[in-house]
Amino acid sequence: MSQFLFTALNGITLAAVFFLVASGLTLIFGLMRVINLAHGGYYLFAAYFSYTIMQHVHNWALGALISSIVMAVGGTFIYLVLLRRFQYEELRVALITLGLSLVLQQIMLALFGGDAYQISVPQPLQGAIHIPGMMIGYPKFRIAFLGFAIVTGILLWALISKTKFGSIIRAGVDDTQMVSAMGIDIQKVFTVVIALGCALVGFAGAVGGTSIAYGMGTDGDFLLFSLQVVIIGGLGSIGGVAIGSLLVGLIGQMATAYIPTMSGALPFIVMIVVLAFRPQGILGRKL
Amino acid sequence: MKLLSSLRGRNVAAIVVLFAVAFPYIVPNPGFWVLNAGTRTLWIGLLALSMIYLNRNLGLMSLGQLFFSGMTSYTIAILTEKHGMSFGLSIPLGVLVGTLAGLIIGWVALKTEGVYFLMLTLAVALGLYSLSLAAETITGGHTGINSVAPPKIFGIDITARNTFYYLCLIINLIVFALCVWLQRTNFGLALNGIRDNSIRTTSLGYSNRALRLAAFTFSAFIASIAGIIGLFYYQAISPDSVGLIRSIDLLVVVVVGGAGYLIGGYVGAAVIAVFESVIQDYTTYYVAAEGALFIVILLLAPQGLMGIGDQIRARRDRTRASLIGGE
Repeated sequence: MSQFLFTALNGITLAAVFFLVASGLTLIFGLMRVINLAHGGYYLFAAYFSYTIMQHVHNWALGALISSIVMAVGGTFIYLVLLRRFQYEELRVALITLGLSLVLQQIMLALFGGDAYQISVPQPLQGAIHIPGMMIGYPKFRIAFLGFAIVTGILLWALISKTKFGSIIRAGVDDTQMVSAMGIDIQKVFTVVIALGCALVGFAGAVGGTSIAYGMGTDGDFLLFSLQVVIIGGLGSIGGVAIGSLLVGLIGQMATAYIPTMSGALPFIVMIVVLAFRPQGILGRKL
Repeated sequence: MKLLSSLRGRNVAAIVVLFAVAFPYIVPNPGFWVLNAGTRTLWIGLLALSMIYLNRNLGLMSLGQLFFSGMTSYTIAILTEKHGMSFGLSIPLGVLVGTLAGLIIGWVALKTEGVYFLMLTLAVALGLYSLSLAAETITGGHTGINSVAPPKIFGIDITARNTFYYLCLIINLIVFALCVWLQRTNFGLALNGIRDNSIRTTSLGYSNRALRLAAFTFSAFIASIAGIIGLFYYQAISPDSVGLIRSIDLLVVVVVGGAGYLIGGYVGAAVIAVFESVIQDYTTYYVAAEGALFIVILLLAPQGLMGIGDQIRARRDRTRASLIGGE
């Protein structure tokens, strides 16, 4: 029972990281129909970057904040320079970002080498907390990170469904041309959403880099996790990302604990089964 | 005019084949170039062909071809190395597994299209990476299965440099001819019809879904054949040979060569093989150079090297039309 609970908590807290990574991806796709396949690379870069910053400022929160800002600026820059002119050619954008991830991977290899890194847990979150029903304590920071993800999720939901800006985004999802015709500068909205999505991945890099060791190849892993999450949950929906993250996180951890041979195959099989019945994902809109 | 161009096409094809046959004897330093440019081009080109076949006939860009070739390589390696099966049995079984995987994945993936299809097939290819990494007891985990002893046909080691090259060349010629022939059959024509106007083919009584699935399965079959070559090229299979970088590498080859031309994969594979071999002497980060080349091609010549002629012609026609139109 204790092991089961422990594994379940591992799955849920892992899902928190997946949620932060994939929500940026889905947010951008939802509005612009553009998929960033360098997203795994962005995540890994954010993790390396926040590690480096925290080495200098010795403050986890400040490091995470700087990482988010830098990723937002960098991601927006790449969008404006490389992708904006093709934003209505989805396939070309997807391919360009795939090429970008190749370049990014090599740059990171040159800068940070092949070693595994892990960001140290901030002082106030060190130690364990006791959870009823469990023999041993559970790391405090993982629970805190779960809280971060939930708060981020609620904020995103509130932004999209309760604010004026959110209603512009929702209208843009349905009909971009109509929104521009109403006098709204849709290009500006696109840029803000890109910046927000990249800021999310910057934050995710700090959070994920603290809970999971990372290094060469992590970009591919997180690209796979993000794709599985959005394919299962439904691309373009924040709620879908939440469900997808929970499924991928829980199934992955449960399989690792109980049937390790199948731990790579099981999320994959779940993805195929979901698609067989709902090609648009659990909460996705009809394709 | 049409006769002339088809004659020219045939001449070009004959010259290319002759060059490929003579290649091991005319190239300097054959010890290096036959394997690293010749055989490699044939192997990667065949994988690229499976992608291009799909793109031409269904209008879909798949990143999942390494899944099928990887399934074949792994099946053959596991059956022979761990269960002592003979190649005579394991190779057909491997191709069967890869092709069946194509049938199953195709059944699901063809419900989607465009960028969603691209994403899904990429997730499928990456899935094999994490699957083979985790299933350590079956696949050997990170190290994979190494030193797969090559098969002998009539006592001849097929992986001897020139023997392997010519064997690959024959396989490629057969598969390529099969692709060209298939495009001319009723099946191929129906596929073109579906790609261009699916409502019309439905009303004509074609089963769009079954035909598309058949084409997808055939492309998985091509990838499976490439999986045999890949296994004996390295005499090993590991998760890294089906990882993200490899999938992108393959995409680079297809895009550089030209995704709209059956021959494009070979052009791309040859260019990239030479590019890699040459640039490796100057920098260890040659993959970054390759990625940059890929992005430049996508920005400037989205139809690849094979498409540059068409691109220039289209541009010229457009300027001419606008001159006549007096814009």
